[in-house]
Amino acid sequence: MSQGFLSVAGAAKTFGAATVLDGVDLSMARGEFVSLLGPSGCGKTTLLRIVAGLMRPDQGRVALDGQDITRLPPHRRDVSVVFQSYALFPHLSVAENVAFGLKARGAPSSEIAPAVARFLDLVQMGAYADRSIKALSGGQQQRVAVARALVVGPKLLLLDEPFSALDRKLRETMQIDLKRLLREVGTTAIFVTHDQDEALTMSDRIAVMYRGRIEQLDTPAAIYARPATPFALGFVGLSTRLPGTVTDSTDGIVTVATQAGPLRGPGNFLPGSPVLLGVRPERIALDHAGANRIEAPLTDAAFQGARVQLHFQAPANGQILVETPSLPAAAGPGTPLKMSWAIDDTLIYPAPAEAA
Amino acid sequence: MSTSRRLDPVILLALPAVLYLAIVYGVPLVMLLGRSIMVGGVPSLAPFVGFLSDPFSWTVIGNTLRIAILVTLVCLLIGYPTALALARANGLAQALILVAIILPLSVGVVVKAFAWQIVLRRDGVVSQLMTGLGLWSEPQRLLFTEAGLVIGAANVFVPFMILPIYSVLKLVDPRLGEAAATLGASPLYRFFKVALPLSLPGIVTGIAFVFSMAASMYVIPNLLIGDRFQTLATLTGRSFLFMRNEQLGSTTAVVLLVLTVAVVVGSAALSKRLGGAS
Repeated sequence: MSQGFLSVAGAAKTFGAATVLDGVDLSMARGEFVSLLGPSGCGKTTLLRIVAGLMRPDQGRVALDGQDITRLPPHRRDVSVVFQSYALFPHLSVAENVAFGLKARGAPSSEIAPAVARFLDLVQMGAYADRSIKALSGGQQQRVAVARALVVGPKLLLLDEPFSALDRKLRETMQIDLKRLLREVGTTAIFVTHDQDEALTMSDRIAVMYRGRIEQLDTPAAIYARPATPFALGFVGLSTRLPGTVTDSTDGIVTVATQAGPLRGPGNFLPGSPVLLGVRPERIALDHAGANRIEAPLTDAAFQGARVQLHFQAPANGQILVETPSLPAAAGPGTPLKMSWAIDDTLIYPAPAEAA
Repeated sequence: MSTSRRLDPVILLALPAVLYLAIVYGVPLVMLLGRSIMVGGVPSLAPFVGFLSDPFSWTVIGNTLRIAILVTLVCLLIGYPTALALARANGLAQALILVAIILPLSVGVVVKAFAWQIVLRRDGVVSQLMTGLGLWSEPQRLLFTEAGLVIGAANVFVPFMILPIYSVLKLVDPRLGEAAATLGASPLYRFFKVALPLSLPGIVTGIAFVFSMAASMYVIPNLLIGDRFQTLATLTGRSFLFMRNEQLGSTTAVVLLVLTVAVVVGSAALSKRLGGAS
């Protein structure tokens, strides 16, 4: 993986006093789909613009398919972008928008028309070829933008939150369609999003970004099961979180004193270290069968169809969250409930520093 | 009753301007048109036939069109890049450029024309600079030449080219240029296929403003080129003020009006054609 199809090495960018990108490394294989996931301001869009050539990094290098493209202008990179606002050309028809890249590259007109027709069909917009851009809905514009970006056969496709303007139902359909389309065309793609569900659904790997750094780069399942940092734990998926202090560390198992009682988990910390303890909500059972046992009063139960999300009264700076298939009988607000989970399901991190 | 109460509010908003223009512009225009086709109380096209069969008239029409086209071209060449810079700049830079464009509008045309007289004369700044640089072998006078007139007029009218183009360009999504770049379009291709077609409405408005003002300008040619060079506007003025020939004056005024409207409407139609084809 170190000599990837795309490799970004030590990319850094500052705007005035603000460090937006703080030495980011990213390596991708050909055909891979990687999401940059993080809150706004984490640097994901800046990284995307640097890869596209729309912005120069202050430091670092970008290489694509064995060629250093760090100083190459965007129109010589073979990197297509689907913008958040789609950025379709309002003075051109749907077909002319899709044809734009091929014409700009001087493709013979005998090749342009069939290629445009093929890609419009791929995004199910074949019937709209002669329409004006202004006459299309958001979802249709998004499809045209994808076709326009893919028809030139880019080495790399960048997608900057392309679904954020769509409603939830349409977004889910479009996610599945896009994933299928990219597999058919065999395009390597980077997908920028702040929506963890979107990243988990679509990606081969996710780069969790925070404060200009990649906190973790791994498969969705691995990031969910083993978040590398407290930020990854908090940003990807839901979790029970309890602050505490290590009291004992033996054979890779630490004991943590929390306000909910002593709890154990895998880790290596010096006794006395402040830590954050986390558990995924579906790992917690509403009984005392597991090794880590606590009891807390129920505050809220959110019915979500296939499962119920239970919120409990938690100590300061923590939260207790459990997901079960059904609400236990006779449990209402204020009812104290027993819960437990396995030692191996416990995640322990150094307590995150609050200062920036 | 119900129809009059449902009067479109848009019409009400436009009413003051429509009334004002109808009184101070529409009525005199109709009177002028009437005067131009009346000979001794009888309608006749003889004044136009007479005017258009005089070779001197064609010299005057040629002068008018040539100067107006040149001024419009100079304003477009200077104004478009300026409008582009203005649209791309932000914060303080944008404010400074805007002030630099709008503030000179507060200086009267007469003052500007007199200033150009000083700049363009044989011992003026331009002549000194060009001879100093060795580009001119001896001092030359630009004052009272067509080049001097075009330079001076372009200076007065260039804001009316910049501002309409700017107002259109600033509404163009900057992402469009970036999208074109990532699709493989070179900077030149992006300009001709994206920026230029999208700014065409502003260009047409600017051309319409500048051309109609340059074709009908009266004070600037009087001060910068003088009597030997006549345009339709200066000839109209002379006819009324010095020759006391209302017949000729109203005829030249109508010819000027027809020419200006034709060019403005024609350029709008042309831009629609160019914008429609990709």
